[in-house]
Amino acid sequence: MSERLIVIGGGGSGTAAATIAKRVNPDMHVTLFSEFPDIAYSPCGIPYAHGREIPEFKDLFLSTVQRYVDDGLDMRMETTVTDIDLARRTVTARNAHEGFDKLILCTGFVWEQPDVPGVNLEGLHYVKDIRRAMEFDKEIDSMKRAVVIGGMWLGVEMSGALARRGLEVQFIDDGPWLLSELVDPDVAEPAQEALEKLGVNVRTGTRLLGFEGSGGRVRAVSSSAGELECDVAVVCLHKLPNTSLARAIGLKLGTIGAVVVDDHMRTSAPGVWAAGDLIEVPHGLSMLPIGGLTGSHAYAQGRVAGANAAGEDRSYDPVWIPWGFMAGDYTIGGFSIGETLAEAMGIPYVIAKGVGVSRARYFPGAARTHVKLLAEPDTLRLIGGQLHGGEGIKERCDFLAFVAKRGATLEDLAWMENIYSPPIGALFEPIQIAAQTGLAEQARRREQVTA
Amino acid sequence: MSFTEIKHRLRARSEYGLRLAAMEDVGRRYGGGTHDSALPQVGLFWRYVFIPCFRRVPWSTKRKAMRALKMTARDWPEDARRFGEPWRPPARASQETGR
Repeated sequence: MSERLIVIGGGGSGTAAATIAKRVNPDMHVTLFSEFPDIAYSPCGIPYAHGREIPEFKDLFLSTVQRYVDDGLDMRMETTVTDIDLARRTVTARNAHEGFDKLILCTGFVWEQPDVPGVNLEGLHYVKDIRRAMEFDKEIDSMKRAVVIGGMWLGVEMSGALARRGLEVQFIDDGPWLLSELVDPDVAEPAQEALEKLGVNVRTGTRLLGFEGSGGRVRAVSSSAGELECDVAVVCLHKLPNTSLARAIGLKLGTIGAVVVDDHMRTSAPGVWAAGDLIEVPHGLSMLPIGGLTGSHAYAQGRVAGANAAGEDRSYDPVWIPWGFMAGDYTIGGFSIGETLAEAMGIPYVIAKGVGVSRARYFPGAARTHVKLLAEPDTLRLIGGQLHGGEGIKERCDFLAFVAKRGATLEDLAWMENIYSPPIGALFEPIQIAAQTGLAEQARRREQVTA
Repeated sequence: MSFTEIKHRLRARSEYGLRLAAMEDVGRRYGGGTHDSALPQVGLFWRYVFIPCFRRVPWSTKRKAMRALKMTARDWPEDARRFGEPWRPPARASQETGR
């Protein structure tokens, strides 16, 4: 009898885990359980479909359930696993038991709900399931006002999207500047301006007090800035690890309340792996466990879990977290930590800042690229950074996260090679400029000290 | 409340307080474009004891302490080479799979 693997969860990590396991070991019987009817769609694209930058929601579907069935997977869609018995090696779904030899948990996340009155009113929208998003999209045309709550990047994306659809959008966040949990004020400022250019009313330093309803439906958001009338309140707080099944079977949880795994995605229970938003992984700089990362992290973790469950020996590295997103028409990004987080953790740093251009200065479409790098004061080893501008921010953040992981220094970056081709790259790479400026500043300080 | 939950709460509380304090400092440094935070303040112990003490301890000591207190991830190799070190493949992977 072939080995039986059950994967619980049909998001990025679950789909990757099941697919890779089957590819590595075609004899394995791989069953995937998902509570949703769809598979292999891009939830991260939902705000852009709302904003009509992606013309239709169907463009977000990358594959069909049937394709996975054709590839030999046993797909149990719209089937919620309600119980796991580790001793008997069975899961329970729809009151039936299913046996397994190996198990991968990919149960993802749940949204943090605000702890204020009125959270059960209709008209509070959470972005997750694509079917719900498609229904919501039809409702948008009949709406006039939206309040978006929360200082995470989804809130910024949803604000931009709803503004593009012509809604009067109020964005409220209790932090002192936009996205203050993630970005530094100098990076937040142009992002806020870009949102305001789309017509979004950004209210930072504003506390959510509750939701006011009429006939069971939200009609206003009560905040420290007053009552904000709305037809919908889009709630974009933190992603919390969905650990209900993991807790029920006694898996070890860590300091952020997520499932503890090793570098092979093994949990504390033999024969059980986990991947995606329900686990915590170490930050490469501090080795402190963190979670709630991006879809690409979830996907990569799923691949590692799937390959290992199928018999390979793959490891996953601590993360340096390249990130980036659009605020209106403006791009911001970064990797590892910024100034605010370095201050909070008490990590010493020096800053290297520079501004360059994304293409030759004379070439149409050239955009200013702002680079801020953080480095260790003694070795000048790269420990974090934040960037903003137009094209090329994403690629630079990916590159910087990678070279930081490999121990690059400001010295390395100041003398790095780069492509000069007028339509795609300027003579001076913005990263180089920042690193050179940082080195010059360090040299000046050393001179001041010796003088 | 289990020991894991206590550790979870302690970490959440300390991180929150440290972040609030950092936001105040960084916001003051950058000035324009920032507002007074509407985030709820932490208690007096965190504000006047924990945060000032935490800030006085050097990062290298904090790192060692966090490791000793088992707050950092275990069963994970620290991947980054230090300045000047040549790159080397992860030990386990190189021995067993030649990755």
